Amino acid sequence: MPQHIKRLLGVFAIFIVLFLVMRQVLKPSSFGKLGHFRADAIYENTLKPMHYTVADSCTKCHRTIRTEKDKGFHKNLKCEVCHGPGLKHSLFAGQFKVGELPDSLKLNKPGERKDCGVCHQKNAARIKILFDTINTTMVRQIDLAEHNPPDLKANEPANCIDCHNPHQP
Amino acid sequence: MEDHLQNLYEVLSKIEGYVYPNEIELNWSILIVLYPYITGLVAGAFILASLERIFKIKVLKPTYGIALLTAFSFMLVATMPLVSHLGKPLRAYEIMITPHSSSAMAIFGFVYLWYLMVVLFLEIWFDYRRDMVIWGNESKGVKRFLYKLLSLWTTDISPKAVALDDRIGYIVTVIGIPSAFLLHGYVGFIFGSIKANPWWSTVLMPVIFLFSAMVSGIALVMIIYIVLTKIRKQLLDMDCLDTIAKYLFYILIIDFALEGLDQIHRIYVAEESFEALHALVFGKLFYTLFIYQGLLGTIVPLLTLGTLQFYKPKPQIRKVIYIILPILVLMGIFFMRWNVVIGGQLFSKSFYGYTTFKTGLIGMEGYLMAATWLIIPFLILSFLLWLLPPWRKIETSHE
Amino acid sequence: MNEDSTQLSRRNFFKAGTVLASGVAIASALTPYDGLLFAAEAPGAKGKWYGIGIDITKCIGCGKCANACKQENNVPSDPFYFRSWVEQYTIKNDGSILVESPNGGVDGFKQSVPDAEIYKSFFVPKMCNHCAKSPCTQVCPVGATFETEEGIVLVDENYCIGCRYCVQACPYGCRYIHPEKGTADKCTLCFHRLKHGLQPACFEICPTEARIFGDLNDPGSKINYFLKNHTCMVVKPHLNTGSKLFYNALSPEVR
Repeated sequence: MPQHIKRLLGVFAIFIVLFLVMRQVLKPSSFGKLGHFRADAIYENTLKPMHYTVADSCTKCHRTIRTEKDKGFHKNLKCEVCHGPGLKHSLFAGQFKVGELPDSLKLNKPGERKDCGVCHQKNAARIKILFDTINTTMVRQIDLAEHNPPDLKANEPANCIDCHNPHQP
Repeated sequence: MEDHLQNLYEVLSKIEGYVYPNEIELNWSILIVLYPYITGLVAGAFILASLERIFKIKVLKPTYGIALLTAFSFMLVATMPLVSHLGKPLRAYEIMITPHSSSAMAIFGFVYLWYLMVVLFLEIWFDYRRDMVIWGNESKGVKRFLYKLLSLWTTDISPKAVALDDRIGYIVTVIGIPSAFLLHGYVGFIFGSIKANPWWSTVLMPVIFLFSAMVSGIALVMIIYIVLTKIRKQLLDMDCLDTIAKYLFYILIIDFALEGLDQIHRIYVAEESFEALHALVFGKLFYTLFIYQGLLGTIVPLLTLGTLQFYKPKPQIRKVIYIILPILVLMGIFFMRWNVVIGGQLFSKSFYGYTTFKTGLIGMEGYLMAATWLIIPFLILSFLLWLLPPWRKIETSHE
Repeated sequence: MNEDSTQLSRRNFFKAGTVLASGVAIASALTPYDGLLFAAEAPGAKGKWYGIGIDITKCIGCGKCANACKQENNVPSDPFYFRSWVEQYTIKNDGSILVESPNGGVDGFKQSVPDAEIYKSFFVPKMCNHCAKSPCTQVCPVGATFETEEGIVLVDENYCIGCRYCVQACPYGCRYIHPEKGTADKCTLCFHRLKHGLQPACFEICPTEARIFGDLNDPGSKINYFLKNHTCMVVKPHLNTGSKLFYNALSPEVR
């Protein structure tokens, strides 16, 4: 074989060997164990922080609200539907006295018309639920513009929760 | 980051109809338009070079070396738009160490390396080795070192060795033609295999990409040849240019027919996506598709080149035509890539609405970045032409 | 003796061949994709095989699921990044279809069309379909997205190169590039909650229990009860993605 072909093949051989070595070095150790991916990634995906808890953890402390809620239409609603993610609250709020809860642990206390309207504002896409699901709780449809409009009666209550107890509406 | 969000809010205000919320952002921007454009130029230039070498069309001799070096310079840059658009550019090596066999994109690294190293590099190396040995002995300093390095300090330029080089170079070119087809057909497959996107998902996509690649590569070499000859104050070889124009005409016909077939098929079968795509084509893509790509980039060159097959005006006029036409063709093919890549993302996969393309001048995905990746190949080409001038080579081989 | 054995083996060969051929024929006759048949039978899996059901008749479009998803998974709050969102479809009397999803429905919905003009209207919650033949994992060039043995499609954000090919490949628009991380991001079915025995946040929060989730391999699971008792459909069945998100009362307008 002529000298220049030998040298050329040599250069290619060096590159290929270098590539194979790099490949061995750079390939993550758990790659390919369970398929064409890093098996460790499954574990890493479980490490994300949680924010929402489960309903039981609220009622451990807030028992009275639970008894109240169990009697009303909202009995199947989880607390976090209205109050927002409460894992941190459920873990740490017990350490503080009533009234001394730091802002970072406070949950939403929605009560304005728009908050209730998220579920109860009359909407053609929502109304069908009244006919279709006889066995489930019906979601009452209210036309917020007509139902006690706040602007017309300035002295009248403006927020839904002024008249309705959200835990027992 | 802030700019990016501001851009998105502006796009949000221009949404027509309904798009999935994640579709407001155009994921593949101008850099991904460049990627098939540049790979296309490579494949096209190489095919032109192989016309001379394999199909023995000797009249194309003046462009052989230029075409090869052009292909090589653009090939060196071809992956850069891809890498620079990545969210994590430093992880780009992963595509080589753990390529996913079911992904159309994963094999690109290997197809690319095969084409760059085994086809283009080897062909140029065997073509120039004798000259590099001679030039290495003649020159001094850095240039001498470069020649010696590139020729791997070999010295054998006996007629036997040179004949062997020629033979191997020929074999490499033979392998190179299917490789060029593979390279660019494969780029088309990256788009054509996305079944979620009806604008891309067609079996014709690889073939269309391949022929438009040839068209653009041939046009580019034509311009570079004319400009180089003017710079070197040499006479243009009109026979050569006429022949290139002839091939450009043939391939342009095939390209036009394929794209026409694709569109006619879409119109005739009129699938679920048809109304959405129809509105897209006549709305947001009207100028880029019908005017830039269709009329200026295809119809005008086709008619002009077609006329030239029957009636040859004076060389002076033909020269002007041969400068203007390739520019039109190059622009047309650029907008063809644009219409595929950007057009394919302007409509929602829900077929209920359209988003808008908007990119800034600066930033990783901006126009300046794109311009950079288009200019660098020319700098590389200038360097290669200085180091390995094909015209000097012809002189030495005639000594 | 020798002859006999060759004859025997030849006969065996033909026999085996016939069995094999008919086996292939039967297998190929059964393989065609069918949403529910497929759901009931996970390909060879013995463990959990999660599926999702959404009852459109129960969805009131409160957007709590979309909101909970953003908070639980720290999804950027800008209206371009969603793992879960809700669409409001309004079909007018003149036949035109209006689809809306302001901020993905996180802040709830308003009906912009007067009742008199509405033919019908409904909400469709959207999320990752956790496809069994998912186009997104198919196209990932480096293996940074994959399907777990429970049938959940996950992203390896420490390995993703951010090429965005998976975003293009998802027919349902369920992926986005995280603006800070530069990697692909998508619904994990709250994988971090599942591992603690909890439900995904969007299922946990749904006030009307329109969202059902469970093990398709378990005949007694909620999802199997849902699938057996409703006429369910997946979105874009013609794409054969093996979607495991089943909608009850899915209208053909939904895409």
